[in-house]
Amino acid sequence: MTLRLGLVFSTTGSYAALGQSALAGALAAIDSLSQGDARPITPVIADPGGDMAAYERMTRDMLQGGVRHIVGAITSWSRKEMIPLLERHGGLLWYPCPYEGFESNDHVVYLGASPNHHVVPATDWLAAHGLRRAFLLGSNYVWGWETLRLARQCLTERGVEVVGERHVPLGAATPAHILDEIRARQADCVIDSLIGPSNTSFLQGIAARSRHDRAPVQVVSFNQSEADLAEIGPAADGLLSAGSFFEANASDMLRDAARRNAPNGRVSSFFATSFAAVEMIAAAVRSVGTDDPSTVFRAAVETPVVTAMGAMPIDPVLRHAMLTPRLAMALNGRFDVVQSAAAPVAADPYMTSQAARYSSAKPVPKPKLRIVK
Amino acid sequence: MTRSLVHNFSGQTAVVLHRSPEIGQRIKDRCDRLGVNAIPCTLHPDSDVLRGADIVILDIDTGDDGLLPWPRAEAMMPLIGLIGSESPGRLGWALAQSVDAFIPVSALGNLFSAMVIAHEVFARKLERRARDAELARRASGRLDVIRAVLELMKGGRDEALALKQLRTMAMVEQISLEEAAARLLSHKQSAGGRAT
Repeated sequence: MTLRLGLVFSTTGSYAALGQSALAGALAAIDSLSQGDARPITPVIADPGGDMAAYERMTRDMLQGGVRHIVGAITSWSRKEMIPLLERHGGLLWYPCPYEGFESNDHVVYLGASPNHHVVPATDWLAAHGLRRAFLLGSNYVWGWETLRLARQCLTERGVEVVGERHVPLGAATPAHILDEIRARQADCVIDSLIGPSNTSFLQGIAARSRHDRAPVQVVSFNQSEADLAEIGPAADGLLSAGSFFEANASDMLRDAARRNAPNGRVSSFFATSFAAVEMIAAAVRSVGTDDPSTVFRAAVETPVVTAMGAMPIDPVLRHAMLTPRLAMALNGRFDVVQSAAAPVAADPYMTSQAARYSSAKPVPKPKLRIVK
Repeated sequence: MTRSLVHNFSGQTAVVLHRSPEIGQRIKDRCDRLGVNAIPCTLHPDSDVLRGADIVILDIDTGDDGLLPWPRAEAMMPLIGLIGSESPGRLGWALAQSVDAFIPVSALGNLFSAMVIAHEVFARKLERRARDAELARRASGRLDVIRAVLELMKGGRDEALALKQLRTMAMVEQISLEEAAARLLSHKQSAGGRAT
């Protein structure tokens, strides 16, 4: 009996490149597993085209049609659209993307990086490299809002001043006045939580201006991957990206799989994590002999497999994978890993470990005032 | 006072009052994810344990004033009410207890939201209590203000000038007008009735 595995990725629309990379990773894993003795997997593919209503409709159809496991949803917006349906129909979503944290749903397995894997190391790096004036720029939905809120908190705690914040509608080009504002506020770094064409137009715009500016601005992203790095061109050079996996970390097997399956032939974190998700599902289903979501989840937790990304054990309570936080600098269409944790780090989606270092509930000291005559 | 929203509850202790051990355990599981140490209680909770909690999560279907070691609506920590039967009388009891946030038992996955709301609503309640106490204290000092103004008028000033002088004293010392009045009167007493 074959396992029907739902793959819900927007391979058209404003963030199609990310969806194409993730879908290719899942299909590459299915193809690779079909050569072994695993239970055959039949992919059930849906392309919501970046349209939120389509996510709901297609996910419902899939779950009503008997699919119990889905790998998919690129944006947090789409994941949050799918969750009520997963709850109603008892499905399980294996989510392969970096996200902003503050979620731990019983119908989701979180395989992408959490804020302690991206926001925290990236803001540590900025502070350590002497950057002092940050501009926050994000797509106008939950990923942009929440990563920038966390970035503001982390930067402020590290003594970096936030000099401005702007949000761009999903799918829109970043307007030139925002680039003017970044320069006018004398920002020395930009936290870039834009996705799709907003991100490409921003990076190309700021690179064009940097040629004339004396001091270049350091741009930092928590989600830039090889999936759409080539689209940006040389404008991406110098961009720092925080994430759990880059092409430089990939094995020959994974690179070969990407060459054969991904439209751009590249390994990205989206490609690798979707690949790993399918490996985990296949191994767990094989070990328990059923596709019952809670049984499969328990098996995936209790008997973890070494995936194409390496060991990434899942926390049974938080339902998040342990990942290795890495920082990488873009140059000539590739990422060079400039910093990497020695071992996988547990996800901290609610940023609970930050409490010990920095308390947000500190009383505000009373200002000392005096009469000036 | 400037206050930022609390969304990190790591290290806090939550007492969970619910008759069902299964629901208590489900809430404990959710609390584990937030770094909160939950203590489920199915019978009469120990008063000291309750008083020591950072937050209390209680079943409003079976809640009772007698279970809680504080006068009605005067809990010293945020309260989250678990909505079960939705009977109007029980909701009325919970509102009278000034429960800060509510969550249906069927939606325990959203406990984080209830925690954030309860902490914020409770913090506002504390600020309001402090403001009310301060206003009451000031109101009780009105007679002192009149006495201080009369005292300052003895130097030949009119009442407007005397009040202005008292205000200036309060501003320089960064204290309230009532405190300045009380201070002036006590100083006058100790100085043998000579106003300065």
